[in-house]
Amino acid sequence: MNPSSPVHSLFSTRRIAALAHNTLLELVRMRVFYFILLFALMVIGSSLFTVNFSFQEQFQVLKDVGLGAISIFSWLLGLLCTALLLPKDLEDRTLYTILAKPVPRFEYLLGKLLGVFLLIGIAVALMSLVFAGVLGLREQQVLAETARSTPPADLAQALASIRASAFQWNLLPGIALIYLKAVLCATFTLLISTFASSSVFTVLVSVVVYLVGHVQGIAREYWLGGGDASPLIKVLVALVALIFPDLQLFNIVDEIAVGTVVPMLLFWKITGFGVLYTLVYMLVAQVVFSTREL
Amino acid sequence: MSTPAISIRNLTKEFAIPFKKERLVAVRNLSLEVPEGEVYGLLGPNGSGKSTAMKIVLGLVTPTEGTTAIFGCDSRRVESREQVGFLPENPYFYKFLTALETLLFFGKLCDLRGSALKDHAYSLLKTVGLENAADRRLGGFSKGMLQRIGMAQALIQNPRLLVLDEPTAGVDPAGSREIRDLILQFKSQGITVLLCSHLLGQVQEVCDRIGILHHGSLIKEGRIEDLITLENQTQLVLENASPALLAELEKRAREGGATVIGEGRPKADLEQFFLRVTQFNS
Repeated sequence: MNPSSPVHSLFSTRRIAALAHNTLLELVRMRVFYFILLFALMVIGSSLFTVNFSFQEQFQVLKDVGLGAISIFSWLLGLLCTALLLPKDLEDRTLYTILAKPVPRFEYLLGKLLGVFLLIGIAVALMSLVFAGVLGLREQQVLAETARSTPPADLAQALASIRASAFQWNLLPGIALIYLKAVLCATFTLLISTFASSSVFTVLVSVVVYLVGHVQGIAREYWLGGGDASPLIKVLVALVALIFPDLQLFNIVDEIAVGTVVPMLLFWKITGFGVLYTLVYMLVAQVVFSTREL
Repeated sequence: MSTPAISIRNLTKEFAIPFKKERLVAVRNLSLEVPEGEVYGLLGPNGSGKSTAMKIVLGLVTPTEGTTAIFGCDSRRVESREQVGFLPENPYFYKFLTALETLLFFGKLCDLRGSALKDHAYSLLKTVGLENAADRRLGGFSKGMLQRIGMAQALIQNPRLLVLDEPTAGVDPAGSREIRDLILQFKSQGITVLLCSHLLGQVQEVCDRIGILHHGSLIKEGRIEDLITLENQTQLVLENASPALLAELEKRAREGGATVIGEGRPKADLEQFFLRVTQFNS
């Protein structure tokens, strides 16, 4: 039985979903999730290492190590997976077979990117579960020890103090920002891979952008401060400030880890900034890719 | 007159050479038409511009000058690819997918779905002889099997035009013959085929017309019989002819003013011999 002839649509969520699902499947079958084991070992290791510390110190080290590792691992995962996708499809000529079907190039890019976003999302969720699990387990151990050793009169206050130092729901916005940062970096990596000739070049440039992104704030402040540099330098600094994302903004996660409550307005501002830069990079990637000779 | 399946008009493609002023002309003022239902062979030595011309027809490369159209629709438009199935040379598909998953993936890219897509995928696997490998990953496929799954994915949306780039490259003679038979089957179903191949014997067997590209230009085009028939020569094949009869024929030919250029025993071609021997011993 033959399927009925489809009517071509200029934009098809079904085609994009097929590409995203295929990308996710490709990365999952490449066994990229094995790194979660490494993450778990790190978090569990840091939990064992700090048993002689006070419970506040133990929880703080766990939060610092856990959130820091989620941030680094999700960035690395997004970077390496995205850097591989396009050059691999070009080299293996699978790109020809896909684009010889009625698939617009922007749908191909979008599908690939959404597949990576899904992968990062699953990875961040899994790492967060491991992190929360280890933190929760340690909390239960400390609670039990405290219940045994604390006089009944002080127990309620002591237990409340422990609970306040352990996993708090205000960590979730921090995890969301870590995800957004990884997504933003993955999109920039995709943009580079649309004109790069190799995965190695893409990875190197992305790492440089990541590093520049963390000092970009200094450039912007210099530009806005109107220092006494030459106009050419000012233009260059302004360009750096505009082109590179200010990744330092996402370091607010460090504040969240020490228990600082971040105002929702600030959270949404950073989210808006991340989404805007992601969309702009995606658009530029599409423009570059649509003119590329295959 | 119906719209041609492929229409190429004054096509030129130049590539910039890095750090040089001059440009590489891959295709030079190429014009040709392939009517619907025809099997057209595009021939030429390596670097003659075949692949570039094919990529332009498929909308993968933008022409410097000229136009290409598929059933009247400009190749640069995405919808022109609705009617095309493409099998690239030495196709590499996603090795992590099974044969069935590969066909379902390409079907979904053509906006097909549901049980109709699944049934069609199974029927195509049967057509190309891979029904027993439906759940095997492509990473373990031989070159011939990859070529066959490539053929199946090219057919997934029931295209009216098939573009086949070296469809039998690296395939054993039996597999090559099967692919040839498939092309003949498509022809009988009215599917237009644009075939690029270096196996001239096979091209001769399946193509209605051919075009020969050299240095980016079309230097010859026409029906195969017209191009290769030697008009001033006649071949006579006899069975059980005695030496005396042959001598008599030769003498009569000379008397009639003809020249006998050669004489010998006709031979089966190597492919036929190979297939006969391997089938007999299997």
